[in-house]
Amino acid sequence: MFRWEKLGRVFNPRETTDRSWLHEFAQGPCTLLFDDFVRVYFSCRPPPDQSGQYCSYTAFIDLKRDNLFETAKLASQPILPLGGLGEFDEFGIYPTSVIRSGNDVLAFYGGWTRCESVPFNVAIGAAKSSDGGETFRKLGRGPILSYSADEPFVLSGPKVRRFGDRWYLFYIAGRKWKLVDNRPEPVYRIRMAWSRDGIVWTKAGKDLIECRLEEDEAQASPDVFFCDGRYHMFFCYRRSANFRGRDNGYRIGYAVSEDLWHWRRDDSKAGIDVSEDGWDSEMLSYPHVFDLDGETYMFYLGNQVGREGFGLARLEGEL
Amino acid sequence: MRSSASPPLKWEKLGKIFDPAQFRLPNGCEQFAQAPQALAFDRFTRIYFSSRERDPRNGKYLSHVCFVDFSEEFRRVIRVNDRSVIELGKLGCFDEHGIFPMSVLRHGDKIYGYTCGWSRRTSVSVETSVGIAASDDDGVTFQKVGDGPILTSSLHEPFLVGDGFVLLEGNQFHMWYIFGTDWRRPTNGASPERTYKIGHAVSRDGFAWQKEEGRQIISDRLGPEESQALPTVARIGDRYHMIFCYRESTDFRLNKQRGYRLGHAWSENLEEWVRDDAGLGLDVSVSGWDSDMQCYPNLFQRDGRTYLLYNGNEFGRHGFGIAILK
Repeated sequence: MFRWEKLGRVFNPRETTDRSWLHEFAQGPCTLLFDDFVRVYFSCRPPPDQSGQYCSYTAFIDLKRDNLFETAKLASQPILPLGGLGEFDEFGIYPTSVIRSGNDVLAFYGGWTRCESVPFNVAIGAAKSSDGGETFRKLGRGPILSYSADEPFVLSGPKVRRFGDRWYLFYIAGRKWKLVDNRPEPVYRIRMAWSRDGIVWTKAGKDLIECRLEEDEAQASPDVFFCDGRYHMFFCYRRSANFRGRDNGYRIGYAVSEDLWHWRRDDSKAGIDVSEDGWDSEMLSYPHVFDLDGETYMFYLGNQVGREGFGLARLEGEL
Repeated sequence: MRSSASPPLKWEKLGKIFDPAQFRLPNGCEQFAQAPQALAFDRFTRIYFSSRERDPRNGKYLSHVCFVDFSEEFRRVIRVNDRSVIELGKLGCFDEHGIFPMSVLRHGDKIYGYTCGWSRRTSVSVETSVGIAASDDDGVTFQKVGDGPILTSSLHEPFLVGDGFVLLEGNQFHMWYIFGTDWRRPTNGASPERTYKIGHAVSRDGFAWQKEEGRQIISDRLGPEESQALPTVARIGDRYHMIFCYRESTDFRLNKQRGYRLGHAWSENLEEWVRDDAGLGLDVSVSGWDSDMQCYPNLFQRDGRTYLLYNGNEFGRHGFGIAILK
């Protein structure tokens, strides 16, 4: 079992008052390392509209490399505009995963649209930055990874990685919309695609992680990294119904693989759980693990899937 | 390639051959018989089409695939389907609110149906994608290969991928389909209207497709706001002919001057197409069922003859007709 020492909340979006698009939520943290700071991309929301509907934007905060609890800079604008009328990302860009590619930074993100019979649909978009990840341009008006026969809706939560000469996207794909008290709730599973160039992707076409809680368990945020000859994945999972509170809400799970194709799930090793009280007492979700100056850290979301921000934990010992 | 235009095709209009109001169709469908698609059997021709029920929850339309079997000369109806040909999609799926049209292709001992699935959005009315289904009971019912589509939006085809028409030439599958280029409000506060163009994809197996990704293969006649829909392709003589329909993107429903007409292009290699509407040789009638509009064409060949099915006024609310190539 891993042992994570919780270091506390790093960023609370509710403390920012001078950015109209940043009111609450700081979701899906993802890091990009610089010499003096760690840039953390996150997705946030302005207040809901008159009918209670949210939009989501991705922005970043730069944390000092020698003290991740000290802010060097908070983005003055979101990194991307929302899509145009009828486009897949018209109502949200959340979450975002970035990777360096030569002098550029590539971003993959979930683009949100609104539907009539279900609340939303999501497909994965891509964008490129040539200024070190401050601003991005979309590669196209449409998604780079979209629906297919066995991934019918809700392709979201992309995490881009490069292992050897191959690119990988770990993401989630919707399996069903389950009616819970007449409200459609999405069930999704962890999937994978690979690419030679980051543009043309081939889907693996299988669920990577078996279910543990129930047949309709939802799994998200597949955060994969390579260490000591094995691939490790931290992810989050929840029950299909009544998951907005402590009992059935998100927890962090763990799986390991030698080949990225076969994964052994063992949540008992995850080594991090909800606190007795405070900002992460009801749920933990959207883990992102990264190495920095000899330590291994995890950013993660707390209650209400990051409504009150994200926090940091440090691995004690080694993986 | 750019050789001179052919002499125009010559058609004999046989008139409207099917009126959905005359038949009892499943799923409460009463009006519309849209996008007729022919499949030849030894002793009859089956024509799939999409009809509509009113969604009891909100009064909006749901399109269902139906079929009608005609005797050889299209004079007599043998039967219409008495149950669902293909089920609409599950909650949240791309084809939840309608399948219109479905293009059919006989391949081996199976019949494949390439569906255009519709699902409703909130900021715009609809999104579409292309799905695939297969029949192993001679086309009476079709089962989907999955809950999701096989051709959908992508980087440079941002929405409204639909209207797939599939042709197997040699061992290469070709699909001509449409992709959206624009949603816009004609005037402030008006509902958004869409513009779409014809694209092309190829496949080795009919399931996994390679798009040309945003290449509009048929030039515009009405300018950038021309919407082009439902391509159909057949070899006639030494050339491939494509027939499709096109219209202005706004004020096209009731304004006869801006509504659907049939367009035409020809090709010698299935890659480059020369638009040649005058070469179609078929226009709206002076009066009658196809006097205001012509749309949703389907070319097919049997017994050495070439036929064209199409819809007339009101997007096929009152049925479809047929013409025969002379």
